Amino acid sequence: MPRSAHTQTTLTLAGCLDGARTIFPLMPGLVVFAMAFGAAAAQKGLSLAEAGLFSGLVFAGLAQMVALEGWSTHWTAASLLALGFLTMTVNMRHVLMAASLRPWFAPLPAWQSYSSLVLLADNNWALAMRYHAQGGWDVGYFIGAGFVTWVIWVLGTLAGHVVGGGIPDPKAVGVDLVVPAFFIAMLLPNWRGRREAVGWGVAAAVAIVVSFLLPGWWFIVIGALAGALAGGFTDER
Amino acid sequence: MSVDGGTLLAILVMALATVFNRTAGFFLMRLIPVTPRVRKVLDCLPGSVLVALLAPGAVHGDKGMIAGLAAAVITAKLVRNDIIPVAAAMAVAAATRAFLP
Repeated sequence: MPRSAHTQTTLTLAGCLDGARTIFPLMPGLVVFAMAFGAAAAQKGLSLAEAGLFSGLVFAGLAQMVALEGWSTHWTAASLLALGFLTMTVNMRHVLMAASLRPWFAPLPAWQSYSSLVLLADNNWALAMRYHAQGGWDVGYFIGAGFVTWVIWVLGTLAGHVVGGGIPDPKAVGVDLVVPAFFIAMLLPNWRGRREAVGWGVAAAVAIVVSFLLPGWWFIVIGALAGALAGGFTDER
Repeated sequence: MSVDGGTLLAILVMALATVFNRTAGFFLMRLIPVTPRVRKVLDCLPGSVLVALLAPGAVHGDKGMIAGLAAAVITAKLVRNDIIPVAAAMAVAAATRAFLP
């Protein structure tokens, strides 16, 4: 793809450092959830090395927790296939998140855009979309935030595996609010008017209804698509 | 520090599935011409994903979750800082769960 002279997309080290700093408010949530996964992995009989490889290679908290519940010691072709599909459905929202990054990341060479996307997680995506909505074009911001998330996720998993039990109940100290509250801080600056009122209203309504009707995590993808289409076809007056 | 072959294979299958999810949407958008309308839908996508994640969580959540989310919305509107909404939501949720069981 020819790099057009007027592309604003950049990838700098300064951007990486900037993104790395902004993930700081998520620390308590990330550490506690990573430790909880490490402890759960130890309970299921995974070794320290296996738990570390798990978090390092998969890097998807929700999918890892769900997969661990049905973790087996004897894997067959059928159970591996089922595991792959389970992982894909739990994390289907990442398909939409990556799609939304296309206009921003597309001017980069493919090896840079695709290797950046391997670091895609809810947190650094949400952070980067707010940054981009406010006029930021440095992909490093996404990479820096994603890399720090990855490091904490892996180190927290190892720490949780070593410590085992005795991790504070996440709900008692409100740690389960860290990620949702952070998302709210990412979301609110995106409000511009009529289009958001329609799109977000449809997304909320559809996601809530689907969450009662279908098992699993389909409510995120179905609600988000419905909201984006409704908002995208709403014209500002 | 042993790594079991079957466990490693299961982890690799999951890793492959997550890499697919992380890259497929980006690749597919290459095939869709970005008309002004598609651009508007894409612009609305991030907010919709976040709302679709948050709204069912609020509906299915306990009193602490609802109070904490409300605290996050109020503080995020008042201050341009990410730490304060997170801290406020944690504090309000923990207090609600401790004192209003």
